[in-house]
Amino acid sequence: MKKLTRILMVIVALTSTFTQASEVSFEINGIKSDAGKILIQLFQGKDNYESGNAESALIVKAKTGSVTVNFNELDEGEYIIRFFHDENSNGKLETNLFGAPVEGYGFSNNAKPDFGPVNYSAAKFVVQSRDDKVTNSASVIY
Amino acid sequence: MQRRHFLKGCASLGAGAVIVNSPLKVFASTETARTPQVLNYKALFNDALSQSPELIGFTNVDDDFAPEVLSIEGKIPLDIQGTFYRNGPGKLERGEHRYQHLFEGDGMLQSFTIAQGKIVHKGKFINTPKFQKEQKNKKFLYSGPETVIPDALSVTNADVINTANTNVIAVGDDLWALWEAGSATKVDAKSLEYKEQVILGEHDKYKKTLQGLPFSAHPKVEANGDIWNFGLNSSGHVVLYHLAPNGRAKNVALVNAKYRGGMLHDFLMTEKHLLIILPSLSTKRSFANNRQGGFSRISFDKEQAQRVLVIDKASLTLKKEYELEAGFAFHYGNAWEETDGTIRFDASLYPNADSLHNLSNMMKGEINHSVPNAKAAFYTLSPNGKSSQMILDTNSEFPEVCDHRVGLKNEYLYHLSSKQNSFWSNTVCGFNVNSGKLDSYEFGEEFLVEEHITVCPKQKEGTGYLIGSALHVPSKRTCLNIFNVENISDGPIARAWLSHHLPLGFHGTFKAA
Ligand SMILES: [Fe+2]
Repeated sequence: MKKLTRILMVIVALTSTFTQASEVSFEINGIKSDAGKILIQLFQGKDNYESGNAESALIVKAKTGSVTVNFNELDEGEYIIRFFHDENSNGKLETNLFGAPVEGYGFSNNAKPDFGPVNYSAAKFVVQSRDDKVTNSASVIY
Repeated sequence: MQRRHFLKGCASLGAGAVIVNSPLKVFASTETARTPQVLNYKALFNDALSQSPELIGFTNVDDDFAPEVLSIEGKIPLDIQGTFYRNGPGKLERGEHRYQHLFEGDGMLQSFTIAQGKIVHKGKFINTPKFQKEQKNKKFLYSGPETVIPDALSVTNADVINTANTNVIAVGDDLWALWEAGSATKVDAKSLEYKEQVILGEHDKYKKTLQGLPFSAHPKVEANGDIWNFGLNSSGHVVLYHLAPNGRAKNVALVNAKYRGGMLHDFLMTEKHLLIILPSLSTKRSFANNRQGGFSRISFDKEQAQRVLVIDKASLTLKKEYELEAGFAFHYGNAWEETDGTIRFDASLYPNADSLHNLSNMMKGEINHSVPNAKAAFYTLSPNGKSSQMILDTNSEFPEVCDHRVGLKNEYLYHLSSKQNSFWSNTVCGFNVNSGKLDSYEFGEEFLVEEHITVCPKQKEGTGYLIGSALHVPSKRTCLNIFNVENISDGPIARAWLSHHLPLGFHGTFKAA
């Protein structure tokens, strides 16, 4: 419940407008179809990432090719983004019996798993200050 | 509410989750990055080849083999009409890079079509996603389970590097080329063209939950055509498959075998049970040994008993577990069950895992005659939980029984052998397990003999043929051999010669016309 409150607060924050504010613009490439949605999560710091405690979450309609999303009003610090293409719009990342994803997914910095999970350090990026503008991108791994 | 689901759903992408549980980790340690091997395997191998011509079977294949009508000695029996397919690693080198374990090479299918007394051979690389990409770029783009390629692309799941290189079976009208750590690969039976990586159960209730799961290279086909198989995950779980003859998924289940051996190659089946036999392998010491490769990190642990998991076929659940003396086997011949529940099976049993590592040493041209061969071993699992083993003094690999006896009591066991400890077999054997009589034909030291499979047109044990290939080292040519199982020691009743040699491969199948 605490988590939900936090997310709702973030949503409120996202809908407000500020003239001077930090902004992370994140482009997702290589989306293979218009089916379903793209679900994106932003985490601040390694601990929050590892405990699944998202700073912010967004859902956008999937679009063949690419979509860009923005996270605003972020404190300075380290961040990591992960996302998945929820093709069947059930809100869940489909996995096989052994827990490996069978829907498209990806990470900031275009970090990819390689004989094992993505390293936090490979996917992290920094928001330097309250008025930093960061651009980042990744392609979907199907 | 959707967002709550979202957070929950996305957890599978968490630091500890993605791929950690994938079959790929069977092949890799993730705690530290693997570093490229400094030894130049290609140069070492080529140096050794000039001294040891028998290494010719492990040279790289550049291209597909165009159809060739073979020259025939003897007479091909008229009741053999169909195609004999074989699979094995063919692409072992690109540019300066040579794979460091034989199991890493890209799969190449050989087909021998037998019709009206003629045999036509052709060979074709399986155009897997990996092969397509690397062929186009004219270099290895991905690291293998063992070999680290510098600046390689990410291996995000096992099927990215699925070489489909170990076995081939007929499923419906298609062929499935099989690997061990990922999906089956569907291939056209006539053209040998790649079709797709099979998503098991996709059209059944399983949807995509079986996508990318390991489907091992030694499925067992029951007399009614049903296909049984397993796959090992790095978590120590084993997935069990019961498929219809057309490949549709009937039942799939997980069993927690708690097995950390790092590889599991074959299994067995009786009428009522599957036997998952877990050799005395361990990956525990891989860090202490600084061995990070998918195969080199595996060690033999003589303190670790072999375990047999007895799985009920109807429910795919674990019923019983037995312990056997320490040992290692790639392959098992057959298993059956007596009326009182006693289970009997055989194995080509090694006293350690040196043979596994020898397949790496050979890639740099080392031939070690002191590596122990496998022996024919026979096991009994009693209903009271006790087990016993009898090991014969006969070298044995690639054991086989007639197709229609798989899972049932067999009188004959066919296998390869060699009189001396040798790095490859040179003898074909038929062993009568009731009388103990061994009927064998030794090709001679100049031949490297590959798996010979049974073709039994009459479906009557003790009749029919053995068919398989052998590489004649001095003439650098491979021949196909057909034996009458009733008289193996007389030598092949027909032999068909290619104009060149084929890479030494693993397993095959016969598909009747
Ligand atoms: Fe095998």
